[in-house]
Amino acid sequence: MMLPRGGDPVIVQNMTGRYGRLHTKLMLDYGTNVAAGAAPGKGGQSVEGVPVYDTVAEAVAKTKATASVCFVPAEYTLAAGVEALEAGIELLVIITEHVPIRDELKLVQLAQAKGATIIGPNCPGIIVPSEKMKLGIMPAPSFSPGKVALYSRSGTLTYEIAGELTASGHGQSVAVGIGGDPINGSTPIQWMDFVQGMEETEAVVVVGEIGGDAEERLARHIEKSGYRKPIIGYIAGRHAPKEKKMGHAGAIIYGDYGTADSKIRALTAAGVRVAKTPMDVPRLVREALG
Amino acid sequence: MRLYEYQAKSLFKEYGLSAPKSILVHDLEGVRGAFASLTPPVAVKSQVLAGGRGKAGGIALVDGASKAEHEAARIFALSIGGEKPASLLIEEGYPHDREMYLSVTLDRGERSFVAIAAAAGGVEVESMKGKVIRKVPVEGIDAGFAAGMASELGLPPRESSQFVKILLSLERLAREKECELAEINPLAVGKDGTLMPLDAKVIVDDNALFRHPEFAKLHPEDEFEGEASRQGFAFVRLDGDIAVVGNGAGLVLSTLDLVGDAGGDPACFLDLGGGAQQDRVEAAIRLVNRLPGASRILVNIYGGITRSTDVAAGIRAVISGGGLKPLYARVSGAEEEEARRMLEGTAVKMYKTAPEAVAAAVKRA
Repeated sequence: MMLPRGGDPVIVQNMTGRYGRLHTKLMLDYGTNVAAGAAPGKGGQSVEGVPVYDTVAEAVAKTKATASVCFVPAEYTLAAGVEALEAGIELLVIITEHVPIRDELKLVQLAQAKGATIIGPNCPGIIVPSEKMKLGIMPAPSFSPGKVALYSRSGTLTYEIAGELTASGHGQSVAVGIGGDPINGSTPIQWMDFVQGMEETEAVVVVGEIGGDAEERLARHIEKSGYRKPIIGYIAGRHAPKEKKMGHAGAIIYGDYGTADSKIRALTAAGVRVAKTPMDVPRLVREALG
Repeated sequence: MRLYEYQAKSLFKEYGLSAPKSILVHDLEGVRGAFASLTPPVAVKSQVLAGGRGKAGGIALVDGASKAEHEAARIFALSIGGEKPASLLIEEGYPHDREMYLSVTLDRGERSFVAIAAAAGGVEVESMKGKVIRKVPVEGIDAGFAAGMASELGLPPRESSQFVKILLSLERLAREKECELAEINPLAVGKDGTLMPLDAKVIVDDNALFRHPEFAKLHPEDEFEGEASRQGFAFVRLDGDIAVVGNGAGLVLSTLDLVGDAGGDPACFLDLGGGAQQDRVEAAIRLVNRLPGASRILVNIYGGITRSTDVAAGIRAVISGGGLKPLYARVSGAEEEEARRMLEGTAVKMYKTAPEAVAAAVKRA
């Protein structure tokens, strides 16, 4: 996995839609080099002075972009994702919510075959404050450059915790929303490996929630890996009912599978310092960094 | 979306999967009629979406008409995971020696669908011994795949040939109807060696429903859930008295935790979604304001891109309509001070942090 550097060209899919327009502007304001848009039938238009092409292939040919931020509606996300990966996009950030599971699986397989990385779907994207690089929809004021890597299954919790960290003087080396769906284009384990390997990172904050066993798997991985940088965790949903989808498609407890308690126990046993509330995260980061 | 057992079994039928003869009934009169036309013993099965209905007493096996009515009356009065059965499936018993397990389900960690089978089933798949799990390719499986599983399970030839057909049908159903789970538990092995699905559990991928209009009319809608879904809110009704509203699933989930830790009980989970503009905030607060059981409202909004003043304007619009329940709000973000001024002199209480707002809402400060 390679992150684009500050100034690298980025494209936006469905740039001419409502969210595409709004976030093209906000990404440009932050300093991201949004170099082209792609939207079928909208070639020749422009958004915020950025040219729009009919296809990703054209946008890539004109700009040499290797990253794309996708705002295409769920019904067409599979087709748009395939188009981007076939056109040579190496980092595909899918913001779209409500993408069917089988479409996500097909995209994951294609990305693996191409050696590409998908972030999302159903996520706020990725931000690297020191590079002024934002591929996504997160509010810039919550984030600041620093040494804490933060990644999460939840968008607004990412902002909330980044905001708390920023307010207490802990900036972020990178912050990623990996997505709230049952299938993530890139997994918590992949992100842990990546952020632990980032030179700028001194501590890692991982935010999970009820549903599935991603945090339990991560805990087993942490036990084996011998990571040296301290890990702080937070899990939302200790008081959530069973068998109910809590907003995110992936946030559901079936029987005893996917409970917050199981995740907190697994992470704690793996040596992760688990915060009880989002507000408690900065204190644990401070303690971990001594 | 989970289907009721009778809906799942009718879907099974479309895919050539059999089930014992059964009749769906909605009242005791129906139970009498159904019992008369079936061969006893029969099973009286509550039709609910909550898990664990067997343990909750929601299933009874009976061999006489009066016993059937008696058990039906008892089951109709049950609350199973907070759900009252609106209908019962009266089904002929199937004498059998052994129970197997079979499902096609999503393995989130492996990021693949899997087929899971066990020659000797049980109630909980997690604790089943000798189960066989194989990854199912997205494009589907063939007879060789199914035969391989049968042989790994050590099934005798007569069972194996039936198992292959059943697994092929179940996998095709799960794939074509885009199910997160299609499960037969138990898959009974009859006295004569015939394999018979006795229960059916199907959960359809909500996000794929746009490709499956056939499921649109399957569920009676709760008034509030219907309204919330038309507005594009994620909404779950809970049994407490504090309506919880916020933007972003994780944030609302963590707010429920704060409420629970402070000794309160949420009446609902409402996620406004990303950009919480004035009209959406207004619609959400109007909705929870008339939720029976909710005596007060807690709003927790992390305004990133959302302007606090938009949220305040949405709240003000509801106040002007009158009858707003006590409302405790934490709205952070741009123009926070201005938003606070807009709500000054109203009954709305504003707090700087989520824990403060939660504490006040729980204590009715």
